[in-house]
Amino acid sequence: MRTIIPILLLAFQFGAIVYARFVPTRYFCWAPYDTQTDYVASAVVNGHTLTPAEFQHRYRRGMRGFDNRSPQHVIDMLQQAEEKHAALGDKTTIVMKYRVNGKEPREWDWPASPPQQ
Amino acid sequence: MGLAGIPTPAVTSWNPLKCSGTGLPANLTILVKVLAIALLLTNHVRILPDPWLSFIPPIDAIPPLFFKRTLQTVFLVSALAIIFNRRLRVASLILGATMLLAVVSSKAYYGNNKTFCGLMLFLAGLYKPGGYPFLRWQLALTYFGAGLNKLLDADWHSGLFFENWSVNRLHQPWYIALDSLLPAMYLARFMCWATIVTELGIVPFILIPSLYEWVIISNVLFQASLLLFDGTTFTVFFYSMTAASLAFVAWPTEPVAVMYDANRGFGNAAKRFFSSWDFDRRFLWVPTEGILHFSLGSKVYSGFRALRMLLLLNPVTYFTIAAAIAACESVPSAALIRRLIVAVALLLLMPPLAWVADKFFDHGHPQPAPRLKEFA
Repeated sequence: MRTIIPILLLAFQFGAIVYARFVPTRYFCWAPYDTQTDYVASAVVNGHTLTPAEFQHRYRRGMRGFDNRSPQHVIDMLQQAEEKHAALGDKTTIVMKYRVNGKEPREWDWPASPPQQ
Repeated sequence: MGLAGIPTPAVTSWNPLKCSGTGLPANLTILVKVLAIALLLTNHVRILPDPWLSFIPPIDAIPPLFFKRTLQTVFLVSALAIIFNRRLRVASLILGATMLLAVVSSKAYYGNNKTFCGLMLFLAGLYKPGGYPFLRWQLALTYFGAGLNKLLDADWHSGLFFENWSVNRLHQPWYIALDSLLPAMYLARFMCWATIVTELGIVPFILIPSLYEWVIISNVLFQASLLLFDGTTFTVFFYSMTAASLAFVAWPTEPVAVMYDANRGFGNAAKRFFSSWDFDRRFLWVPTEGILHFSLGSKVYSGFRALRMLLLLNPVTYFTIAAAIAACESVPSAALIRRLIVAVALLLLMPPLAWVADKFFDHGHPQPAPRLKEFA
């Protein structure tokens, strides 16, 4: 076990490094601080615009902030949180404006709007 | 105790500053203790998560408060067990597993720094004598993944990442000042490509034992440069990446015979100072004539280089550095204090200063110290 488990862990990471070449996310592939995403987001839940504190509580992220790995990580958190809340009957719209490494502004919307690459 | 080795007591000491008889070799004992110190002093326990958008969906079904409190309790108990030398290998395994579980249980908590720290602890906990060097391979894989990702990113080719990070995000004054003196994007491209070359270049060194010394120097300098530039430890990344260097060091298993001149104040002062915090009795002070010196393997260290090595051979040095950096987490001017600590540590512990001091004072070259058994 003391050999098999580390081998499996290393193999998983190697697979994640290869997988990352084909997707916009950067989970478990050792891409720390490779992309600076700065974003501003707002959310309207059942007609109520979330305050900064409410936004932080719902999405575990601030309304404005940074991510150091991939914009898709921020999008994942907002989208997957809302997919769960939608199952409970919430009607939510999110608008996230963001820049990657200071380049041209992009926008992501929920309900679904594919992120610009 | 015999002269055959470092004392291995029948009952493992509760003294946190002792590293012998822990069940792990000295280098891994120091590694896991450094990480435990950093995790405790930075109060990392407070940010352990409840399940939230877990990478393993069934974890989301666990009652959140129960999960979080259990995680925190296990985290604290295992970290303290490491500090006080209680079942060190098992405690390291548990602490590492706790961190890895926290990483996969919450996308809000997820981070490369926590993952790497957890892996260092977990893999140290799976150590067995004569086993594969998984800790070293983990460091190689981490640098490979990081370097490859940058190598394939157009914003790293152009320097845009570094320019945006340094100017717009950090407002780094040194970078901005130097950048203004150079052609546009020149410094940014240089920094980006230097990072890529360093990260990918270190990988083959990690796989060649005769180059381990260069791995240690490169790794420590690279991580230190990140801290000096950014002013932060990137949560626990700085601690865990620099501590990983310890996986490349084989600590002496016998006490080191240190020759010193008992008739000179300097020799006596050195003996008193270094003995006062040599809790594992790693040094055996032998009065003789001539300058302070000792042998380690095929190398002879004398004068200031000997003093530098005496610092490096004592585990308490690493605990002190880690504790000093971690303890200033919440104080005003923390970034400045961290930079000062790291800069001073580099100055004192990296080779050049001691070499220059020895040349300046011209201590001469002593003969290799006699082997320990001659004093039996």
